[in-house]
Amino acid sequence: MKSSSKLTAILAVAASLTSLAGVQASVAQENPIDKLTPVTNEMLLNPPDSDWLMWRRTYDGWGYSPLDQINKTNVKDLKLVWAWGMSPGGRTQETPLVHDGIMFLQNSTTLIQALDAATGDLIWEYKYDLPEGVNPGGERSKAIFGDKLIIATRDAQLIALEAKTGKLVWKNSVANSKFGFSFSSGPIVANGVVVQGTTGCGGGQPGGCFYTGHDVDTGKELWRVHTIARGDTPEGKSWNGVPVESRYGGSAWITGAYDPEQNLIFAGVGQPYPWNMEIAGLLPKSSDPNVTNDALYTNSTLAIDPNTGELKWYHQYLPTDSLDLDYVYERMLIDLPVNGEVRKTVVTTGKLGIIEALDRTTGEWLWAKETVPQNVVASIDQKTGAKTINQDTIPKIGETTFNCPADPGGRAWQATAYSPRTKALYLPTVEFCSNTTVQPLDPGEIYTGGGRQTYARVPTPDSDGNIGQVRAVNLDDQSDMWMYRQHPPVTSSTLPTGGGLVFVGSLDRKFMAFDDETGEKLWESGKLSNSLESFPITYSVGGKQYVAITANWASGLGRLQSLTPEIKLPKDNPATLYVFALPD
Amino acid sequence: MLAVVAFPHLAVLLMALGLAVPVAALLPAPVAAQQEPEFFDQPYAPGEWNIGRRMDEAQLRYCVDHRDPDWEVAAAIADAVAQGLLLEPRRYVVESDFVLEDITKIYQIMLEHCDMHMGFKLIPEGYSDWITVTRAYYEAEYAFVTADPDIHALADLAPSRPIGATMGTSAHIRLVSYLTALPVAKRWPTYPYGSSDLALQSLLNGTVDVAVVWAPSLWAKQREDPAYANLHVIDSNPLPPTTMGVGALMLGDETFLRNAVGEAITALIEDGTIQSILEEYEFPATVKP
Repeated sequence: MKSSSKLTAILAVAASLTSLAGVQASVAQENPIDKLTPVTNEMLLNPPDSDWLMWRRTYDGWGYSPLDQINKTNVKDLKLVWAWGMSPGGRTQETPLVHDGIMFLQNSTTLIQALDAATGDLIWEYKYDLPEGVNPGGERSKAIFGDKLIIATRDAQLIALEAKTGKLVWKNSVANSKFGFSFSSGPIVANGVVVQGTTGCGGGQPGGCFYTGHDVDTGKELWRVHTIARGDTPEGKSWNGVPVESRYGGSAWITGAYDPEQNLIFAGVGQPYPWNMEIAGLLPKSSDPNVTNDALYTNSTLAIDPNTGELKWYHQYLPTDSLDLDYVYERMLIDLPVNGEVRKTVVTTGKLGIIEALDRTTGEWLWAKETVPQNVVASIDQKTGAKTINQDTIPKIGETTFNCPADPGGRAWQATAYSPRTKALYLPTVEFCSNTTVQPLDPGEIYTGGGRQTYARVPTPDSDGNIGQVRAVNLDDQSDMWMYRQHPPVTSSTLPTGGGLVFVGSLDRKFMAFDDETGEKLWESGKLSNSLESFPITYSVGGKQYVAITANWASGLGRLQSLTPEIKLPKDNPATLYVFALPD
Repeated sequence: MLAVVAFPHLAVLLMALGLAVPVAALLPAPVAAQQEPEFFDQPYAPGEWNIGRRMDEAQLRYCVDHRDPDWEVAAAIADAVAQGLLLEPRRYVVESDFVLEDITKIYQIMLEHCDMHMGFKLIPEGYSDWITVTRAYYEAEYAFVTADPDIHALADLAPSRPIGATMGTSAHIRLVSYLTALPVAKRWPTYPYGSSDLALQSLLNGTVDVAVVWAPSLWAKQREDPAYANLHVIDSNPLPPTTMGVGALMLGDETFLRNAVGEAITALIEDGTIQSILEEYEFPATVKP
């Protein structure tokens, strides 16, 4: 009996061990990372509906998802299914990527994580240590291609990780952060080339910023396009006679779009620096007839061949910008009817809130549509797009001038989005103005501040108190479809979906869903941990659709907090990823 | 050196200081200056919630930055201030090689290392609420500098010849404002440079004929690099000189310490201590009672 019961016990233990091993094997088999497939060029050209593979989901920059499980009828039932606390410190404007049920997340501390996108379980993480003196800060985007996740860092490094394991594959130093160079957005992979824009080209290093192209397998730099024109060309002579070593600005801080048909990247460039044109040497205008003071290529779209770095064409929206009115944001590639024929356009909206369309094959300017109240542009030439500037708004030394919008813009870096369902552009906008004063801001020899102008932000003269809006504009005929207005600034990007919804977040910690045709608010989350200033995405795993957004005060339109002092945000600025879905 | 008897009214302040510092340390962190968190005004320090309160209230912790041209002079003045307050000076030298920093970076340095950071110009309305500046311990000028021995005043410079200026300084703004009022034919082209170093380099390489730089920066360059030895300062005529007071930065809620340091600086000026330090270093600055 004894030996028999011993045997029974041994067998039982063995059986349970076998069973445990079986469970472990089963768990190991169910690890979703095992099913991760390489991201092919074809996938980037035509992403699976379930995935979110790049910053604005598709090369055309629409920020639209065809997923329709969550729709106008059932969105009222949307519930939080999981959340993930992100690293404290720094600010994040995160766009998670999702592929094959795996979510890739970049924390502001450059902690990169792979999560099970259905459950929120951590699979792997990789920490890139920023050098001393570089403050943490999130990147708006990242790229995935082949078996690699490609990450930009605040100290101007590009790194590639193995997507399945998080192991470092390569690292490439693009610029020296000690001179101020930095990345605040990540790359796009176009035709096998990693294309990255640089920011931080203020007073530390003259000559402006640049876009660079890199070998996707090694990170090796293939080409560099300077965002400040140089040389003995009309463009190079557009800086009022100021030499290259005295030209500043032209940050390239937002990821571009890609047209595979033409093999062209369309990318934006920010404003010159310092903002005040007298201090920048761009005013008073030189009497030399051979020079202009347009300050190219600031506030322009650049059309760049991703394989060679050749600049095919450019269009400048706002020359001689003295109000920090970037035209750097997302570019959307949309085929639109113009004067009775379908044109291949590239659409963008600058801080002025003016939507503008170019022919993306030639750079020809096509049309403009104003949205938010603005007093900077007095008129627009309907043939060329050239703008006549209201001279009263140009900041002058010794005066305080009044301009609308103020420096954060009628729209900021929060992206607009386009839905092919409705032919509408959905814009997160704000309405406000500024009393602007030129000021010396050289408190120390090393420590400086801003762009030598201070902006006291005030409501628009006829404000109804509703600073924030979501606007829907039909791009086929540029007609207004609807507008939602509220007092708190609307502070996240918009996310239109195949379910007929537009998701967006606001400074007062609410995530909302609107009917994409009427603007009726159909759903609102409870108050989340912090303001919503990031890029919401949607994806599906196992046939279930999820919507995700990061909460964090990221300084963009949050700067309008001075106009909304009643909105209180947590002091230590937590960052949290929230994921919503319908109940099973 | 200076004794507290040199300014007896400080004795009362000093007695209170022993109480005030620990009390101040218990107050909420100055991030609470969250009244109007504007873009460039929002201070931030990684992990600031983990930075504890200081333990030794018998010290005056001060920072100097080795990138500042006057850092050794400023350190000597800070030592004198500490001794005047009967506190032990504790120096922290910021050792960074970043070329420029946004002023919000100073927040982390001050939380971790110092009660006052030396070397900041007194600019009216030039600072956000989360920081404050003491009274000036010296005044210095922006210098008009040239390598051309025939130029003795800005007025000697031919109108077509370019000027390089440290970008956005009070002197640069004054120069630009003056030029805007001139007829086009009489204007000097003026090029901005991100730092006094870059402006001086442009003078050496012949890009500009005159540079407008912070006089202490020229002083430091000429001490360390013989290539700058032949540069000379010219009269700013037709412009008036641009003079700036320089003081120490403190966090906005350090009002008591700021007053105490201010009184100490006044006493050190009155008894000649600061003048002696400036003379010891042959530093291009003056003191103003």
